[in-house]
Amino acid sequence: MESGGKAREEEQDGMSVHSPCKAPPSSASSLPKEQSQVELELRLLEALEIYPPIKLQGIHRHFVLFGLMEFLRRSFNRQFSSDEVLQLLDRFYNLEVLKPDDEDIEVLNREEDFSLPQSFFVKEES
Amino acid sequence: MGNSSKDDSLTDGDASSGDAPPSKTSLYTEGEKVLAYHGPRIYEAKVQKAELMKKEWKFFVHYLGWNKSWDEWVGADRLMKLTEENVLKQQELDKKQGVDKNVKSGRSAHTRPKSSADVKAEKEDTKTNVVKTKKRKTESVAEKEGASSEKSVKIQIPSTLRKQLVDDWDFVNQQDKLVKLPRSPTVDEILSKYLDYRSKKENTTSDSLAEILKGIRCYFDKALPVMLLYKKERKQFQDVVLDDMSPSNIYGAEHLLRLFVKLPELLAYVSIEEETLTRLQQKLTDFLKFLQKNQSTFFLSTYDSIKGVEGKGKGKDD
Repeated sequence: MESGGKAREEEQDGMSVHSPCKAPPSSASSLPKEQSQVELELRLLEALEIYPPIKLQGIHRHFVLFGLMEFLRRSFNRQFSSDEVLQLLDRFYNLEVLKPDDEDIEVLNREEDFSLPQSFFVKEES
Repeated sequence: MGNSSKDDSLTDGDASSGDAPPSKTSLYTEGEKVLAYHGPRIYEAKVQKAELMKKEWKFFVHYLGWNKSWDEWVGADRLMKLTEENVLKQQELDKKQGVDKNVKSGRSAHTRPKSSADVKAEKEDTKTNVVKTKKRKTESVAEKEGASSEKSVKIQIPSTLRKQLVDDWDFVNQQDKLVKLPRSPTVDEILSKYLDYRSKKENTTSDSLAEILKGIRCYFDKALPVMLLYKKERKQFQDVVLDDMSPSNIYGAEHLLRLFVKLPELLAYVSIEEETLTRLQQKLTDFLKFLQKNQSTFFLSTYDSIKGVEGKGKGKDD
């Protein structure tokens, strides 16, 4: 259980082998361009604290993506398209390997009838 | 209370010797929807976990429509079965007390959870005003936000659309009628009409709006069969929506609007920063205004009687 745990965990997290952590040695001579990339990646990782990548695989995907777009938009004061965010994420995660959150699945596996909240039947005074 | 067993180890064998032995099966099961007391109010909640702790059943509940941070362990004395009877009691209370918009009690002001005796008394005598009116989700969300820093999305449904929802309820539940399917425009069509409308207005296509609309569509497709149908509509769903069809391509504004009632509950599962939440709210509100503006063309003014929809039954009327 313990011994195999690490590997399995990494797999579940969908960590990419091509993680930018293993940047080629040449990057030591950093150019301004790379600096901005580092900034971008740092911000993205920050955003992922709020918007966990696992949520990108469930029904909430689009709202999580919206959250990430907004986070980056505010951080860098420019628009980020959803594709751009996804490409950025791709540097760190293999999203396809991620399994949807159990909770997300659970939300939708119990069938119930729609019921209009009582407050709708209260006549509004105007 | 007499402590009959001196042995603290949790062998369930000695349960028989206790004066109030906990049953081996819990009263509430995991996944069950219940009514839960929280302070003086009652909320709809869902049992996430049930565990026997120190010979007492404890339940980890999630309050529907509320942020997960409110989730907590409670004893059985805080819960009621979600039965029609209990809901009816609540509704009576609702009516009795009206929707008191001035009540501003948030969680912080709440008293300690009640003892089981109190709860029982309240349960039995709903005429007393001990129990505060249960507020419906959207309102309570607003309230709680005022009282604490807890965030959840607020969606103000315009009054004519609220009326539409009541009519919708009436058609299906009181008059035994159904929306004739497929609808035109469909949910998909409405969403793209809206995107067009916004793009023309702003002269740009907003990627973030497109993402939200995709999110709505995704919620709709997933939520329709599990939470957006009245019982009487289930058969129609089975007949009309076959394996690989998306509901958003068959159903229309009537059911889309119901999704907005459920939206706070769904979005509570996502943590969203306050600023982003505000923006999301604005966009959702604007979309509702668009629905309202096109109410006469998007929504049916009459539904078909169930017999008619189901086909060649005995044509009672029409």
